[in-house]
Amino acid sequence: MWSRVRGWGGAAGGSCRLAARLLAGPASGREAAGVARLEGRPHRYRRLPKIQKLFSTSSVLSTEKDGSTASKDSTTEVASKSQGSTAETPKQKLLDLIGNMKVEVSYRKKLQQLKTREIKKQATNKLEGPDSEGSVLQKTTEDVQRGKPLNPELVEAAAAVASSLPLNKKQTESELLAQLRRHEETTDKQKKGGTINIRNVISEMAVKRQSPAQRGVRISSRISLELDEDGQRIKLERLSPQSFDSRRSLKVGGRLNIFTKASTETENTLKTVSSPTIWDLEFAKEIAAITAQPPRNGFEEMIQWTKEGILWEFPIDNEAGMEDDAEFHEHIFLEKHLEDFPKQGPIRHFMELVICGLSKNPYLSVKQKVEHIEWFQKYFEEKKEFLQEI
Amino acid sequence: MDPTAAHYMFQDDPFLMPRNAANSRLFSLSKESGRNAAKYIIKQFPQYFDKTFAEPNIPCLMPETFTPQIEGVSEEALKERIHLRRVKDSVDLFDQLVQAGTTVSLETTNSLLDLLCFYGDGESTPEKEKEEEDLEEPGVNASEQKAPKRQFQRGSQSSGSRWRENNNAERIFKIMPERNAHSYCTMIRGMVKHGASAKAYDMYIDLLNERHKADVHTFNALITAVPYLKERFLERWELAKVFLNHMAQQEVQPNLLTFNALLKTLRRCGGVGRSMSLLAIKEMEALDIEPSLATYDHLLFIFYRGADLCPSGIISEVLDDVEKRSFTPQDPDDGMDFSISALFKLGWKANFFGTAMQVCCDLKDIKLAYQLNKAMEKGDNWKFLDMDRLNAYWSKFFSLLCMMEQIDVVLKWYKEMSPSHFYPTPKNILDLLQALDAANHLEAIPSVWEDMKQLGFNRRQDLLQELLSLMSREQHPEEIQLAFAKCAEDIKAVYEQSVREQALLEWTGSALGHVALLFSRAGRTQDAWNMMERFQQINRIPTDQVMEEFLNCAKQTNCPDEAIKLVKLAAALGLPSSQRLKSRTEKEFELSEKQK
Repeated sequence: MWSRVRGWGGAAGGSCRLAARLLAGPASGREAAGVARLEGRPHRYRRLPKIQKLFSTSSVLSTEKDGSTASKDSTTEVASKSQGSTAETPKQKLLDLIGNMKVEVSYRKKLQQLKTREIKKQATNKLEGPDSEGSVLQKTTEDVQRGKPLNPELVEAAAAVASSLPLNKKQTESELLAQLRRHEETTDKQKKGGTINIRNVISEMAVKRQSPAQRGVRISSRISLELDEDGQRIKLERLSPQSFDSRRSLKVGGRLNIFTKASTETENTLKTVSSPTIWDLEFAKEIAAITAQPPRNGFEEMIQWTKEGILWEFPIDNEAGMEDDAEFHEHIFLEKHLEDFPKQGPIRHFMELVICGLSKNPYLSVKQKVEHIEWFQKYFEEKKEFLQEI
Repeated sequence: MDPTAAHYMFQDDPFLMPRNAANSRLFSLSKESGRNAAKYIIKQFPQYFDKTFAEPNIPCLMPETFTPQIEGVSEEALKERIHLRRVKDSVDLFDQLVQAGTTVSLETTNSLLDLLCFYGDGESTPEKEKEEEDLEEPGVNASEQKAPKRQFQRGSQSSGSRWRENNNAERIFKIMPERNAHSYCTMIRGMVKHGASAKAYDMYIDLLNERHKADVHTFNALITAVPYLKERFLERWELAKVFLNHMAQQEVQPNLLTFNALLKTLRRCGGVGRSMSLLAIKEMEALDIEPSLATYDHLLFIFYRGADLCPSGIISEVLDDVEKRSFTPQDPDDGMDFSISALFKLGWKANFFGTAMQVCCDLKDIKLAYQLNKAMEKGDNWKFLDMDRLNAYWSKFFSLLCMMEQIDVVLKWYKEMSPSHFYPTPKNILDLLQALDAANHLEAIPSVWEDMKQLGFNRRQDLLQELLSLMSREQHPEEIQLAFAKCAEDIKAVYEQSVREQALLEWTGSALGHVALLFSRAGRTQDAWNMMERFQQINRIPTDQVMEEFLNCAKQTNCPDEAIKLVKLAAALGLPSSQRLKSRTEKEFELSEKQK
C-alpha cells in the first residue's frame, strides 16, 4: 500500500490524494456501499446483503468500514480544505478537485485490495494502537478522550500526509486523525445499533405494500423487457397471451370506479343559467378555430364571405340591413294623422300635399314623418291668431 | 380534382405556385400576414376609414370601435371596460372605485378576476399572434421539410412561468372582502394556464378549507397541472386520482375534457400511464362520454411512443372506432398546430392523424394506413389537419407506401398526390428512388430528376449521390443510357454553377466518377474526358471501373488520343492500374508510332 501511495506523489494535489487513499485504506467498504454513496442512495439498504455475507468473517469490520467510507468524502474535503488554507492558488484547487475525482474512481479497486489486508491486520494492530498514537499525535483534549484506538497504519499515513504538507503539519494531522476518530465513533454506534437497524429495515420492507399500479408497472415492464430482449412476438405468446392481450384492449378491462353516471334529471337541475364567462367565450373560439381551414375552392370562399357579411345573401333581400319596424301602409297612408286639421280650406290642401310628399319619401322613418306632421300642427296652432285675422 | 394544381389559396399562375412544402407554408403565411397587416392599418388609422359606402354596412371590414362609452368612476363603467377586455383600464378603474370607498359587487369583481386570470396580467393584444407565428418560422429550412417537431416533450411551459408574483389578480383577490367559489376557481384556472402550478394547488387547498366546491373546469385545470406538481410517475397518478375522487365527492360530473386532461397527464407517466389509461377509457364509456380525437391521440401516444412497442391491438381498435365517426371538434387539443392559445399553454397540440400515421409507419402496417386514410376522408375529419400536418401525414404515408407496396401502386399515388395534396420531402424522394430500384424500374429516374428540380432539391448532396449511383450501377439499354447521360449533364451543371445565394457544391470523388461513367457509357467521350481531368483538381483518384469504361468508350468512338491521355493521366497519378491500361490501350487501339 505504501509503495502505491508513494507512486502517486508529486503535485500538491497528490498529497490530498494520499490522504484520501489512506483513509480509504482501512475501510473495506464494499463496492455496494461505495456505489450507494456515489449514487446517493441511502446506504443502509444496500448494506444488507453484504452484511449478511460478512457476518461470518468479521462483523466488526463491516460496519466500521462502512462508516468510514460514508464519511470518506467529507474527510477528503477536510484534507483538501486544510490544504487549501495553506496554499490557495487556483492551480492547487484544480489539482485538489482532480485529486478527489481520481480517488473516487480508483476507490473501488483500492477498497477491494485493502479489504483482505485489513481483515488480517486489524486484529493484531488494535492492541498496539494507543501507544504509537500518543507519541505521534498532538495531544488535544478531544484526542485524549477518544478511548477507541485508531488503526496505526492510518495514523502513520496521516502523519505522512501531514509531513508532506508545507505548513501546519500538526494541524492537518490532528484534523485528519480527528476525522478518523469520528469515523470510528460513528461506526461503533452504528455497529451497536446495527442489528436493530437492520431489523427495522427489514420489517419496513415487509410492510411496504405494492400498489396495484406498481404491480402493473412491474409486470408490464417485465413483459416489455422480455420483448426488448427477444423482439419477437413468439415469446410474447408464450407469456400467457390471453391476459396480456386482454390487458391491452380497449374493449375489456375494468374501470376506475370513481364516478357514477348522473341521471339526466340531476344534470338538468345542475345546469344553472349564467352568462358565459370569458373562459367560455375563448374556449368556444378555440374550438371553432380547430376546423377552420382555408377555403378549398371558390364556393367555399363565397360561403365564408357570406358568413362574414361581405357578400349579400341570396336570394337578395331588398331590406337587408334596414331596421324598419313599420309596415308599408304606415308610410303611405298618412291621412289618419290629419284628423286634427280643419277639413276644408287652404291648410288642409297644404297638408294633403305634405302627406303626398311624405308618402313618397323613402328616407324618413314613420316616426320622423309623424313628427313632421306634428310640427306643422304646432306651427299652425301658434299662428292661429294671425290666421284668424286674415 | 386537378392533381397538378396547388391549393386554392395560392395564385393560379405557374410562376406563383409554391414548389415545395417550405414554399407553400411561406406563401400561405405571407398571405395571412398580409391580411393581418391590413387589419392593423385599419385599426391604427380608423380616421381614414370612416365612410361607410356599403349598404348594408359590412362591420368586419370597418374599423372596430372599442372606446368605452360610459365615463366616470362607477361600477357600470367598470363592467363596460371588462366587457371590452381592456385589462389595464379595468384594473385602474377598480382601484379607483375601491379607494373611493364604493363596494364593487362580487359578480363584477369575479368577472374582473376572470379577465385578469385569462390574460395573466398581460393585455389582450392581437399583435402577439403574428409574433408567435414568426417565432416558429426559423425552424424551417428553405429547402428542407422537417416532420412536425416532436413538441410533446416541450411539456414544461415554453416561456417559463408567466404568472408574476403578486400580480393584479392576486392583489385584487387578497383585498376582496368576500369571495365565493367562483373567485377561487378562476384564480386556479389562471394560475394553471400561466404556469404557476404549485400556487394553483395551494389555492385549491384554500378553496377546500373554505368549504367551497370547485367546478369541472377547475378540476380539469388541476389535472393538467399534475405533471408539474409531481415528478415520479406513481405520484402523478396518485395525485390525479385524488383530484378525481374529490370531484366525485363534490358531486361534480366529469366531462370529456376531464378525461382528456387525465390522459394528457398519463402521457407523462410511463408504464403507469399504460395501465391506467385503459381504465380511464372504460370509465368514459361507463359514463356515456364519447371520446374525441384528442382522446385517441393521447391513447396512441401512451402506447406507441414509449421506449418499447407493445404489439397491442390498440391501434386497430382505435381505428375501428374512428373510421365509423365523423368527428366534431370538442377539445382544443383535437387538431391544429400553431394557434395562439397553444403557445400560451403548453406549447404542443395533440394531432391524432399524424400520430396514428407515425404509428402505422413504425409498425410497418400498410393496411392500417389505408384504414386510417379512409377514416380521414370521412365527413369532416380532414379538417382536423392543417397544412403542415397534412404534409407530414402524406409524407409519412408515402414513405410507408414506398416501403410496402408494389411500384405501380406507388407511382399511382405519387402521380395523384403530388403536388396537389402534398409536397414530397427529400426523404420521400429517396424512398421513391429505392422503391424504383427494388422494382428494377430505374428508367423512371430521369423523370424523378425533373421532379427534383421542380421541388428545389437539385442541390442536395445526398439526393444527387443516390441518383448518380443508381444510374451508374449497371449498364442499361441505349436510350436509357442516353437519358441518364443527359441527367448527368444536368447534375454536372448543378455542381459547376454557383447560384448567387448558395455556396458552390463540392464535387466528391464518387460523384465525379459516376458522371464520367455515365458519359462514357453514352459515348460522349469529350465530356467524359472533361470529367476525368477534374479528378486532379479535387485530389481524388478515379476508380478502375471508371477508367475501364472510359477506355471502352474511347474504343467505341475511335478516339485513340483520348485513350492515350487517359494512360498519361493514370501514370501521372501513379496508379497501379496504369500499366494495365497502357497494355490494353496498345492492344486495342491502332496506334501510330508517335502515339506509342
